Amino acid sequence: MTAYLIRRAIGALWVVVGVAVTVFVILHLTGDPAAVMMPLESTPQEIAQFRHNHGFDRPLWLQFGTFAWSALHGDFGDSLRHGEPALGLALERVPASVELALAAISLAVLVAIPAGILAAVRRNSLLDILARVFSLIGQSMPVYWLGIMLILLFGVQLGWFPVSGIGGLKHLVLPAITLGLFSMAKVMRLTRASMLDILQSDFLRTARAKGVLPLRLILHHALRNAWLPIVTVIGVEIGSLISQAIITETIFGWPGIARLAVQAIYDRDYPIVEVVVILAAVSFVAINLLVDVLYAALDPRIRYE
Amino acid sequence: MFNRRLTMLVLAAFIIAATGGSVTLVPAAAADTTVTISQGVDPVTMDPLKRTITPTTNVHYNLFDTLLRHDRDGKLIPWVATSWKRIAPTVWEFKLRHDVKFWNGDPLTSADVKFAIEKIKDPAEGSEQGPRIATVDHVDTPDAYTVHYVTAKPTAMIAGYPWEVFIVDSKYWKEHGDAYQAEHPMGSGAYIFKSWRKDESLVMDANPGWWHGRAPIDHAIWKPIPEAAARVAALRTGETDIITNVPAQYQIQLSGGRSTQLESARSVRVLFFAFNTLKPGPQQNRLVRQAFNYAIDVPALVKAVLGGRGYETATPLPSNFFGYDAKIPFYKHDLAKAKALLAQAGYPDGKGLDMVLNAPSGRYNKDKEIAEAVAGQLSQTGAKITVKIQEWTQYVNQVSNRSVTPIYELGWGNDSYDADNTLTSLFTASARLSTYSNPDLDKMVTDARYEIDPQRRQAIYSKALALIHEEAPWLFLFEYEDLYASTKRLVWQARGDELIYIDEMKLNG
Repeated sequence: MTAYLIRRAIGALWVVVGVAVTVFVILHLTGDPAAVMMPLESTPQEIAQFRHNHGFDRPLWLQFGTFAWSALHGDFGDSLRHGEPALGLALERVPASVELALAAISLAVLVAIPAGILAAVRRNSLLDILARVFSLIGQSMPVYWLGIMLILLFGVQLGWFPVSGIGGLKHLVLPAITLGLFSMAKVMRLTRASMLDILQSDFLRTARAKGVLPLRLILHHALRNAWLPIVTVIGVEIGSLISQAIITETIFGWPGIARLAVQAIYDRDYPIVEVVVILAAVSFVAINLLVDVLYAALDPRIRYE
Repeated sequence: MFNRRLTMLVLAAFIIAATGGSVTLVPAAAADTTVTISQGVDPVTMDPLKRTITPTTNVHYNLFDTLLRHDRDGKLIPWVATSWKRIAPTVWEFKLRHDVKFWNGDPLTSADVKFAIEKIKDPAEGSEQGPRIATVDHVDTPDAYTVHYVTAKPTAMIAGYPWEVFIVDSKYWKEHGDAYQAEHPMGSGAYIFKSWRKDESLVMDANPGWWHGRAPIDHAIWKPIPEAAARVAALRTGETDIITNVPAQYQIQLSGGRSTQLESARSVRVLFFAFNTLKPGPQQNRLVRQAFNYAIDVPALVKAVLGGRGYETATPLPSNFFGYDAKIPFYKHDLAKAKALLAQAGYPDGKGLDMVLNAPSGRYNKDKEIAEAVAGQLSQTGAKITVKIQEWTQYVNQVSNRSVTPIYELGWGNDSYDADNTLTSLFTASARLSTYSNPDLDKMVTDARYEIDPQRRQAIYSKALALIHEEAPWLFLFEYEDLYASTKRLVWQARGDELIYIDEMKLNG
């Protein structure tokens, strides 16, 4: 297992390095930050000074070398927009994003798995039909539209929840639903399908014949065998939350890292974009690794050599 | 049995997830003397000598004092400087108040003004505020309360606007260093900086020792909300008191709201299409440019796209600017004349004219829609007009290196209320954003900058504007009317220069 983890960690490192190089090259090919960052009335001399101050007047390979060397030492440079270290600006927004992502995925899992199980157990019942319709709608609604609708209904009309910003738990409800609904629908559909497969298997019929209590039958025998695909999808969904958070954080004025990234991309604020993308890549890789490790815990037949 | 239990489990999950405990919702503006202001973006730094973007400087204007201030009509009024006069051809003298103190008790003196200007002028500082002090050669401080702006040659009062430089506590700055200022400002303004959680909220409290008298509102919270629909929703729920950049489609809803009201101000920002006369093409022909100006029905355009919130312009200047000349007429919509001019230029019925109208998306209010409407009107001449919309960051790159052609949309907000910034930046041959070159115009703009007598200066600008009108390097469109909305408990009037001074607000009752 340890050898496996080391191998995976080395592989992950290459992924992150690949992402860093790709983002660096793409960013530098897509335009000059001086044009965006400096006031429009700046003189050519002022623009040249800006480029010089930030090293943009040097060859690309040299810029990358400097960036890579500094990044290895934890220095991603100063944000062009804020004039402060990019890593610090990104890290101080991580807790808000983690809070929102955790709330969204918890909401998704807490609702989707029980609902998926119920739908499978009571197949073709009204509940099952409702679950399937919800699953379809949940995966079809654009996040942007859903967020605005929730704001109008629960914020403006009913006044139940605040519509913007971070604060107590009440602030978390609407953004968490917005961010989590897609994953909820997907996990619910998969749980239902996975449970349906298992429920028809021979070993469950045997267990039922032996008189195993229904709840134990479902949770202990069936669900345990249905876990693997569900955990896989949850892992992938956590990864995709990173990209969906861009829209959710913007709509709800949530002070997270995704919102920082959007503004940085608009401003061609290279150091911030680099940091955010690398952090996202690291999280994605770490979550995938965690899911793989979980396989072994969930299914004793799986062992990593 | 298990079905019931599972149903309970699902219900429990819903309840836990949806209620989120028993925390009571507390609106941000709970206290009577607190106002919450929501712009689209958060300020980027508390260092007031670096940036020029409005959402950032709006916060700075409340924390820091300036030498002079513009009133709502654009007139310069005394502020930290009680008087100003030219004492030699190249020297402007400002006399400072003696009772201005920074929040830490340090007195504000001429050394602080000099320090701020020198910081901005230092190339290593990378300040964007350089153009504001372009005419200042150096600053002298004959005594603690006298500042001398020394220009390289005799310069008109408004050429640039060094009096809008934020005055910082030089002693505090030197003690703590540059980097510290980004999050720990020390000003002398109407409000004292309290806390800042980036992208979340910035809190400031009224300065009890402010030389101008304590401001009526005790606390202010700046809470950015990027999405316009969410900003409107937050205002309707009372989570915020003022929102900026209100899209025109919310006008009726907000002006008729139980607790909301619409605020507007004639903006200093003009919107136009420039012809890139430096690149080959029919846009190099003055007759084509004039024809296109006659083909545009600006009042109809403003009514259809902006709900009437705009004012037609005949020249690049808003009407309340120094240099503006009301005698220069609008290009009144006249399709027949437009067609006649095109025929004269060699394009009868627009035949042979195939031009691209470039525009950004999301930078200016309804920028894309305006481009589409203008293209529709220009097509009436028979010319083939195609609209090309691009995202702002790509677009501005091309505008900055003058490569966007033949026609491109741009907005210009000049808060100096003076012709110099607009004409220098957009029409002189050496300016980065100018796609028009005319040595006569260059000379006039330079002469006006260094003309001390206001009447003679106005005469030069009148001549320059007449030339610009005749040469038509732009499709002249309109000045925007900026839309804000606020809660009805707030008494406040929006300003055309997009600035938000909290000391100009008070609460009803």
